[in-house]
Amino acid sequence: MSAENVELVCPAGTPAALKAAVDAGADCVYVGFRDETNARNFPGLNFSRPELADGIAYAHERGTKVLVAINTFPRAGQPEIWRKAVDDAARLKADAVILADVGLCDYAHRAHPELRLHLSVQASASSAEAIRFYHQAFGIQRAVLPRVLTVPEIAALCGQVPIEMEVFVFGGLCVMAEGRCSLSSYATGQSPNMNGVCSPASHVRYVEKGDKVVSQLGGFTINTFRSGESAGYPTLCKGRFEANGRLSYLFEEPTSLNTLSLLPDLIAAGVTAFKIEGRQRGRAYVGNVVTAFRRAVDAIRRGETPPAIDLDAITEGNRQTSGAYERSWR
Amino acid sequence: MVTHRADQPPRPVDPPFSPVLLAGLALAPVPPRLLQPLFDAILSVVRRRHPDILDRLSAYPDAVVGIDPVDLPFTLVLEPIPGQPRLTVCRDFDDLRPTAVIRGPLRMLFDLCEGRIDGDAAFFSRQLVIEGDTEVVLALRNAVDGAGIDLEGDFAATVGPLAAPLRRAARMGGWLFERMSRDMALVRSAIVGPALRGADAQSARISELETELAEMRRSLRHRERRA
Repeated sequence: MSAENVELVCPAGTPAALKAAVDAGADCVYVGFRDETNARNFPGLNFSRPELADGIAYAHERGTKVLVAINTFPRAGQPEIWRKAVDDAARLKADAVILADVGLCDYAHRAHPELRLHLSVQASASSAEAIRFYHQAFGIQRAVLPRVLTVPEIAALCGQVPIEMEVFVFGGLCVMAEGRCSLSSYATGQSPNMNGVCSPASHVRYVEKGDKVVSQLGGFTINTFRSGESAGYPTLCKGRFEANGRLSYLFEEPTSLNTLSLLPDLIAAGVTAFKIEGRQRGRAYVGNVVTAFRRAVDAIRRGETPPAIDLDAITEGNRQTSGAYERSWR
Repeated sequence: MVTHRADQPPRPVDPPFSPVLLAGLALAPVPPRLLQPLFDAILSVVRRRHPDILDRLSAYPDAVVGIDPVDLPFTLVLEPIPGQPRLTVCRDFDDLRPTAVIRGPLRMLFDLCEGRIDGDAAFFSRQLVIEGDTEVVLALRNAVDGAGIDLEGDFAATVGPLAAPLRRAARMGGWLFERMSRDMALVRSAIVGPALRGADAQSARISELETELAEMRRSLRHRERRA
């Protein structure tokens, strides 16, 4: 894969964020409908059908594609709103839908054979066999890889499958088996995979206690941030717990993925698309991150080393990591 | 809708030493009711130019959102009641039970409104404090961020033919504000600089000691396992 063909896939949770992404140089913008059919079903976020129609028109006029994430798992026996989401995305001329559920993949493949299908990270397909199955059974043309693979593992996968590979390059870091994680469901009764909400805001509380702030999820205390200490998202996988008499982050620290320096390696591995996480973030985040990665990809296309760009101020916990791509413990 | 009140008094955000703080001190004797017409007008502009904000908040008709610009001597209360929303100026929230409260310096709140900064990043850096129902706060943040607010444009659209001269005046005011902010930052650094350097040195020493302690604990655990 050459840098010429790499796409920058950018998040938008609102029409203003979509415009920010397009104006900052996104090749594709991914969005969701304002309901539980997508994995960022947060209050006040996402697109109504008229908003999506306007957003697609804005993006297409400027040569940017729009992908619609319909990447939660339908409730058994009640697939209607998920199928309607696929129908509406096709009707509104979305460039692709991003799906996770096998049944929904089958529906989209049969009902809209002309519609391009991408496999969501929520499907957690991390082996050549799994990815080939989705391609052969449903015509999936691109798979978004889980954030648990090293660069050599990605390179090996790219050589074994006949479809495009998309990887996350910046943003929130889900370290669990995506689409299978039940930590948030256990604490709140709502599923990230079926209701589209990991750590639903309705179950989150921040309590100021003196000079500390305590974050709680579903009544569980998951972290206490001291004065001056940067805070993070209230997810259990980034909670700080006491185990064996020691207080520590058991799974992952509050941190953001940043692979600016790894982009040439990922291109050499055969990756087709770079995905920026953050549909729940504001348009300032979208504008800043897309601008930075646009500059980096353009520099690589010119044969230059990607510039070092400071994105520390918009990271979770004010910390950055290259995640599993270089994970020494793996 | 869950109404929540913190069981301990919240830590107020420290107001920055800025022209807003000085203006706030000057405004302190002014009764909030005299400022109410200004905020009625602001809400009217929001309803006319950004109806999508209240549309995205329609799922929270009973919410009472407290907005506390920590460098001003008054607070705001937003009630997104469908069809008849209210934005009320108060001295404080003492007589209310807000569903949620957002606290931060005025300039940061303006920057959030205009989408110049990211709300999550402001929260991570602890410059923005939220209390109570996080869902309502998130809905408000997303609704405001998604509206694409441009305060200067909104202001200009409201004043009609006076827009051009007022826009020039606003830019001059902005320039003066920036200039005053820089001067005040200089004064602040002259006054507290030496103390901050001492605190930085202590902080670095504590960090070294924490590293040493962690190393000793690791070594101790290693010995215990071998024993």
